[in-house]
Amino acid sequence: MDFLNSNLLTILILIPLVGAVLTLAHQAFWKQESQLKWLTLGFTLLNFLVSLAMFSTSAKPGASGFLFEQNVPWIKAINTNYHIGVDGLSFWLLILTTFIMPIAVISTWNAVEKRPTAFYVFLLLLESAMIGVFVSLDLLVFYLFFEASLIPMFFLIGVWGGQNRIYAAVKFFIFTAIGSLLMLVAIIALFFIYADQTGLGGSFDLPSILNAMKAGNLVLAPQTGMLLFLAFALAFSIKVPVFPFHTWLPDAHTEAPTAGSVILAAVLLKMGTYGLMRFNFALFPDQARETAWIFITLAIIGIIYGALVAMVQPDVKRLVAYSSVAHMGFVILGMFSFTEAGMQGALFTMLAHGVTTGALFLLVGFIYERRHTREITQFGGISNVMPIYATVFVITTMASVGLPFLNGFVGEFLIMVGMFQSQVLSVTAAANWNYIAAMFAGTGVIFAAVYLLWMVQRVFFGKLANAKNKGLEDLSWREIGLMIPLLALMVYMGVFPRPFLARSEDAVKAIKERVMHQAGGSIEKTELKPDAAADQH
Amino acid sequence: MNTFLLTDLISPDANVPLILPELIVALAGTIAMLYESFFPKQRSVTGVISLVGLAASAVVLATMWSGDSPAAGWNGMIAHDNLRLGFSFVFLFVSAMTILISTVWLERENVPVGEYHALLMFATFGMMMMSAGNDLVVIFLGLETLSIATYVMAGLRKSDLKSNESAMKYFILGSFASAFLLYGMALIYGATGTTQLTQIADKIVNPNFPALLLVGGAMLIIGFGFKIAMAPFHVWAPDVYEGAPTPITGFMATGPKAAAFASFLRVFVLGLPFVAGAQASGYLHESWIAAVSILAMATIIVGNTAAILQNNVKRMLAYSSIAHAGYALVGFVGAGLAKTPQARDEAIAAVAFYMLTYAVTNLGAFAIVTLLAQKNDRRAEFEDYNGIGFKSPFLAFSLSLFMLSLFGLPLTAGFMGKILVFRPALESGNPLVVGLVVVAVIGSAISAYYYLRLIVLMFFRERTSEWLAPKMPAGLVAALVATIIGVFYLGVFSGGLIERFAKSPSAVITAEK
Repeated sequence: MDFLNSNLLTILILIPLVGAVLTLAHQAFWKQESQLKWLTLGFTLLNFLVSLAMFSTSAKPGASGFLFEQNVPWIKAINTNYHIGVDGLSFWLLILTTFIMPIAVISTWNAVEKRPTAFYVFLLLLESAMIGVFVSLDLLVFYLFFEASLIPMFFLIGVWGGQNRIYAAVKFFIFTAIGSLLMLVAIIALFFIYADQTGLGGSFDLPSILNAMKAGNLVLAPQTGMLLFLAFALAFSIKVPVFPFHTWLPDAHTEAPTAGSVILAAVLLKMGTYGLMRFNFALFPDQARETAWIFITLAIIGIIYGALVAMVQPDVKRLVAYSSVAHMGFVILGMFSFTEAGMQGALFTMLAHGVTTGALFLLVGFIYERRHTREITQFGGISNVMPIYATVFVITTMASVGLPFLNGFVGEFLIMVGMFQSQVLSVTAAANWNYIAAMFAGTGVIFAAVYLLWMVQRVFFGKLANAKNKGLEDLSWREIGLMIPLLALMVYMGVFPRPFLARSEDAVKAIKERVMHQAGGSIEKTELKPDAAADQH
Repeated sequence: MNTFLLTDLISPDANVPLILPELIVALAGTIAMLYESFFPKQRSVTGVISLVGLAASAVVLATMWSGDSPAAGWNGMIAHDNLRLGFSFVFLFVSAMTILISTVWLERENVPVGEYHALLMFATFGMMMMSAGNDLVVIFLGLETLSIATYVMAGLRKSDLKSNESAMKYFILGSFASAFLLYGMALIYGATGTTQLTQIADKIVNPNFPALLLVGGAMLIIGFGFKIAMAPFHVWAPDVYEGAPTPITGFMATGPKAAAFASFLRVFVLGLPFVAGAQASGYLHESWIAAVSILAMATIIVGNTAAILQNNVKRMLAYSSIAHAGYALVGFVGAGLAKTPQARDEAIAAVAFYMLTYAVTNLGAFAIVTLLAQKNDRRAEFEDYNGIGFKSPFLAFSLSLFMLSLFGLPLTAGFMGKILVFRPALESGNPLVVGLVVVAVIGSAISAYYYLRLIVLMFFRERTSEWLAPKMPAGLVAALVATIIGVFYLGVFSGGLIERFAKSPSAVITAEK
């Protein structure tokens, strides 16, 4: 048990890596391409099962308060350590990653004809990198995984993507790489500021830096802090993506193969929001509070803009992609409300969005495999020939819209409540702006209903006009089997959100305290107001 | 000071073991040359002789690292410190890889093998003398030994016009730069009355003619700037790199460049240091730091922007090599600004390590470019790489790896190299130098475009013309495997090596007498 306790996360990173090597070896020696998908599926499933060991209650937090913590010196010359661990922020994201991977693999069962070996190897490498991102506690190691996740995705889009794949892949790479390079400079700068002020030598270790900050041994000058905050925030905002950095997303989503889109939506986007919470909020609480109004504004623009643009998309996949922009806007909104409800809602929406949007991309993939088009005008009345498909699609859409008792509702509701209670805008703007912000965001929910339901109506209902659609086969057992866990989760998360929220409660509280408690004069105000708002309910 | 040379000749401070690594290399070169003239038919033997020589030299070098050799020998003309050892390993590695890579090319072009190997070994000897020389004269001798061998190698393909043009250009401009260098050395001698760097470092506190020191320093920057292809002295590089036979280009972009960096570091960081309280040396130090910083910025900008515009892979790699000289200069400036001897040694080690990572990555890339180029380097345009990705997956993925390492992707050698050279520069806190780091980072971001371009062409486009997968000779495969492992090893497990590079072999640091 001890061994597992300290090595579990490393094992999670290594299993897909070993899988990738074995896949290559298998192909080199046996040349049985049909077996590759089984091999890959086996490794991703194994990883999922192993990741369930994280639920073990006997696990005790390590030295820095993280579960399954492991801290091994890596390169002494630059004092970087392989320091990993998991806490409330990353716990469910990690499970989501390992959960979505087997689904992504099964979704490609018959779709990958071109170079399957490389495809599966890249999928496995991607999984390793994604897990690494969520568990790293050393800034440099985090940067390594953050960048490493870029390459497999770049290839997945560029080789197995659609018509315009090269443009999309290069755009994806350049956008993300520029953001993260500036983050690298900020990381190194932080290293020296730490060395300068503490006299302990430089450090990339997040817990050490945080401890020094809490103890008052490391105080960032406001201007320096703002520059560093912006460098980190830019990298993550591009990844989320926050409006106006979103332009790579619709291209990447539309051109990526189904499995790529699923992973992109379910996990890769969350690296951005996760990074903001883990690094920006923790390291630069003052700057996070001061810039909250900017992010809230951008989030609202993202929500409304994403919804409006989604409404006019002729392509189903592009529509879902823009809906991602809107949903991630909600997540940003909740995070920057700096209330417990809002941030919990943001974390929950990250998971819910991963499940529902992942499912939507799968569903779009199913119809694309049959008809090789995603134009809404090509369809109509599909429910007549594909009743099961239509049912599944409608449920998923409802979850995405935010129907109560499905997972989308819980998160969005919490985010709205959080925004109503939020005090963060009163630091920089007039007192009641939080209501206005919440109301604007609320319209986003209505818009979401409009564009999604309208699309459903045009695709599934009415008369079966297009003759090509008459022979469409309904979902196969493999496809149904694929959707069942996702549908079950949508319902389960909608009805029993408690276990999901409970995990992150402490972590979220700690961040909220850190950000709002340093507000100087407004400390009391911050503590009083939420209670007053709660009384009114 | 040595007033009369004859006394030295009578009782020389001869310490043969100290220069044993260099002697072994020179000996191997001589044997290769003689062997060829007696047995011209046996084409593979001289390569083996050279490789054995390089390996033996590396072993001797490794034992000297842990042994307790004196910090200097030969009346202070040879230094024995971490700068020498670190860089010497880079040179030995570069030469060994070049021999392996050129196996394919030698057969294709039917080049006289023995001459080629002998020249390469003499060039290596020159490079090693450049990093070990603690005296301006020794450094110049090393440089000329290296240069003359390289001029000839650049023109080895006698029947090819481009190769001839390349050799001629390199020769004329190189001689010009050597003249600058020599003139600068003479002026430094005039100002201080000595050519030995340890003594120069003492003398600059109170030089005979401070103005001469400044002018001499400027001349030296021009001379070394030419050798490392620093803007604006870089214009020769793209033409020479494109025209020279591909394996030689790979060699020139890594070996001689690293050698010039070694001497550049020794002359400026160790020979013209900042001495607290001394006005003359303070002014000199400030001037060369500022000059090199600004030139480094120019180098990074010119290298990266020009590389975007290239349509020939060798030319692109030439400009990329200019940009990389700029990144290494960041570490160079950091070494110049180091506040303690230990920090200085670490910064020097960082530059040596950077040259190693660059050599590993770049030689790997050149190995593949050599293989794909075919006879007379016909296929070195970007178009020729169209869609070969899944036709020759091993080659294409390796080349992608090298491109990503040149870009500086984490977990590859290039990333570690960059982190290490940026570190001392950022630590100095000097605003100009911090600005230089920012320029370097933006430069890296720009470089993503042209490095990715090759990957995009290979994997994302379809091949329109037919593709015959090239046959891979054993030597080339060995070089590829070594460089691929090197890229990952240096990117992931470099901790021990970096510490090694930073540690001087004996307790006495850098010939401080």
